[in-house]
Amino acid sequence: MTMLGTRLVMLTGGLGFLAVPLLFTGSFFKFLLILVFVYTIVSIGLNLLIGYAGQFSLGHAGLMAIGAYVSAIVSQSLATIPTLVLVGGNVWIGMVSGIIAAGIAGAALAFPVLRLKGPYLAMVTVAFGWVVWKILLTWTSVTGGDLGITAIPRPRVAGHIFNVTDYYYLSGVIAVVALLLQRNLVVSDFGRKIRAMKFNEAALASVGVDVHREKVVVFVISAMFAGCGGALFAHLQNFINPDNFQFVNSVFFLLTILFGGPGTLSGPVFGATLLTLVPELLHGAEQYRLLIFSVLILVTLFYLPHGIAGLLPTRRSQRAPGPGSGRGTRPREPTDAVPAALSIQQSASDVQSPIVRIRGVSKSFGGIVALNEVDLAIAPATVHALIGPNGAGKTTLVNIVSGLYRPDRGTIEILGIETRLSSLHDAARQGIARTFQTIKLFGSMTAREHVMVGCEMQSGAGMLDALLRTRRSRDEEQRRRAIADELLTLVGLREFAEAPADSLAYGHRRLLEVARALAARPRLLLLDEPAAGLVASEIEMLARVIDRLRASGLAVLLVEHHMDLVIAVSDTITVLEYGRVISRGDAETVRNDPVVVEAYLGTGGEHELSAVAS
Amino acid sequence: MVFFFQILIDGIATGAIYALIAVGYSVTFTTMRVLNFGLGMWVMAGGMMTYTLFASWGLPILATAVVLAVVLGLMGIVAERLTVRPFVSAGSEGWVMATLAVGLLFVNIAELVWGRNSLRVPAFVGQDALRLGVFAIYPQHLLIIASSIGAFLALDYFYYRTLWGKAFRAVAHSPDTSRLMGINAGGIATASYALACVLAGFAGMLVAPITLADPQMGTVLGLKAFVIPIVAGLASPRGILLCGVAYGALEGLISGYLFSGIRDILAFSLMIAVLYWRPDGLFGTASAERA
Repeated sequence: MTMLGTRLVMLTGGLGFLAVPLLFTGSFFKFLLILVFVYTIVSIGLNLLIGYAGQFSLGHAGLMAIGAYVSAIVSQSLATIPTLVLVGGNVWIGMVSGIIAAGIAGAALAFPVLRLKGPYLAMVTVAFGWVVWKILLTWTSVTGGDLGITAIPRPRVAGHIFNVTDYYYLSGVIAVVALLLQRNLVVSDFGRKIRAMKFNEAALASVGVDVHREKVVVFVISAMFAGCGGALFAHLQNFINPDNFQFVNSVFFLLTILFGGPGTLSGPVFGATLLTLVPELLHGAEQYRLLIFSVLILVTLFYLPHGIAGLLPTRRSQRAPGPGSGRGTRPREPTDAVPAALSIQQSASDVQSPIVRIRGVSKSFGGIVALNEVDLAIAPATVHALIGPNGAGKTTLVNIVSGLYRPDRGTIEILGIETRLSSLHDAARQGIARTFQTIKLFGSMTAREHVMVGCEMQSGAGMLDALLRTRRSRDEEQRRRAIADELLTLVGLREFAEAPADSLAYGHRRLLEVARALAARPRLLLLDEPAAGLVASEIEMLARVIDRLRASGLAVLLVEHHMDLVIAVSDTITVLEYGRVISRGDAETVRNDPVVVEAYLGTGGEHELSAVAS
Repeated sequence: MVFFFQILIDGIATGAIYALIAVGYSVTFTTMRVLNFGLGMWVMAGGMMTYTLFASWGLPILATAVVLAVVLGLMGIVAERLTVRPFVSAGSEGWVMATLAVGLLFVNIAELVWGRNSLRVPAFVGQDALRLGVFAIYPQHLLIIASSIGAFLALDYFYYRTLWGKAFRAVAHSPDTSRLMGINAGGIATASYALACVLAGFAGMLVAPITLADPQMGTVLGLKAFVIPIVAGLASPRGILLCGVAYGALEGLISGYLFSGIRDILAFSLMIAVLYWRPDGLFGTASAERA
């Protein structure tokens, strides 16, 4: 869609929005549109959670109920203060309380539950919605049981009580604000993180993002949207009861997302509008409601995986990869200059003591000893290679140093201070970034976005800045963009900055992982078999990048099978076998060490190690 | 004391039903990492069909069970092929919604066929309570407990003693390797899905005389049964039986001594607490992520 087209659609929409009360004097149609607005607001919250962050919830009707009930109860109990009622304050305070209460409930639910993955999460949220419904039915003294709450006041400003037309404008404006907030969040640094979360949580954690925390945050935001929709619903209806907030309502919201287009800005609008209006037009179909829903779900899943919004033409510029198709073309020569993005790190690593030192580290899985009393020290501005036959414990060691596993015994020191690395993101925050043996990228996000996600540890703008898209957050974006481009240049991928990662050639993907890890500004970079699957020219390229990183003062721990690469770039090589260090030294020493030759070739081997390994 | 044992027996019978449904979740999860999110509605289907076959047509209960197994088994095969397989092979999680949609479809169809009212299904083995001294036990409760234990023993035998069962376990361990060994992993996946559906149908059949049969009967049962494999660990059938029975007993005691409204709220809070403490369940083993 062109810029002009978008403007035209918005203008028509805006005029239509203003004109509806003039065209339809009866309240039925306005009432219906208010419902569309309310459902759009809830759907937007759910879209952030499901469409963008890839988490699931089938309990949003419960969160909406909390918003509705709290708002109704608070505004009724505040109605005893006459001055407040006169200016209409009780209802507004009620609505805000409803939103906050839904947020708190969301946090209380999300904190324990978001440790679970997709399907489990879905089922537990179903349970949550059901518990809320049950509480509403049971706690009669507060919620009125199955009769619910009646005589909920309409909002008012000064002496004027909102009629349906006023309420139509109010909820319409709130829905538009909700859409703007959604847009701001999605394009923000937070939005990038939650989109990345959907594709790969481990990779996101490896650049220092506390994934669980971000999930809770997005869930709370989502819950507050639901609470807002609930509050608007309660004051529209004047009465609410538990039947308004059943499981089937949660399914309805999920369906608006699936049907409208998950992870699109306009999806919630399409979904909520069509699914609210169409059943109204099919009067008398009430008994087939579930049937229609389920058929719609199945049809959408099979034939409309991107929903209605997916049918719209997308702007080409957003999807088009960089020059060439991004596949097969050789990356441009990396520059020799040490990028500014890395240089700040240098000053911190002037000390010549090791960046990371591990002592006596052991780790077993079941009865298998993967690492046995391993010592290792990695100095700044050095490349330390870790080699050994398959199963020697190399990856286990990398996983320990990157915080993924905890050692059974032994200690890890960072800059001379003994440290406990409790998780991937914890290690990243302490200056240890990594790449993965099996490439972990964020699907269709662009190369530049990958590196920008990696900038997590560089001070960012806050959530409020992101929501309001303040000057500060835009400046911050600009800064990260610049860093990202610099790092992409370093690994030779600058011209693919706009290309979706899943369109990149295999070797480029590996280099992109390196750039992303570098964005976390590590002191130590762990490269877990970076050359696996690369062609010779790409390995050369990788070697040059590693040299450059060393020149910038970074320490590199390289796990690799390609002996040519290891010998070309390493200052020190440690050889592991069956979890023990069997040899250590520079390339020459290790290559001629009879123990090493034996480990690779068995007893009696007389050949040069490199001849076989390369 | 009499009251205590009375509600304990009731609770254990309910727990046995939960366990039977719960193992349905476990069977499909272990073989193909898929859960039937509409499984509760298959329980309902079992209950409603029992009403028609057993209560209205007067078929003997064993014949009812056989017809139920055949019909639900075939429906399970079709459901797996149409709504699970396409998504799993595409690596999508669309099956979550698709299995749920099938469940909703069942509810609507049941409402159209049987109406929304609760239907009475007579007990299979006599309506009168057995008097054992001061205790009064309903034979239906004993039947439920016995059949569930029987089903679990059969399942155990199947898994560990038969070639087919071993193939199931092999697929659970690694579908790709099993395929290389000549096991029809796709067939096993379908079979496990159908098995889960049949087990759920049996649960519905057994519970119908106690709860009455109506189109909504499966919703809560399916949900509560889901608590059990989550608490017990999805891959542990014996843990599921144990947890199911314990959960049913606990639930019975809570509603017996406190009041029944608070029962489900406590049960779900318990689930969330357990998940927080042990995300892989009480009997599950944490799987370290391989990077």
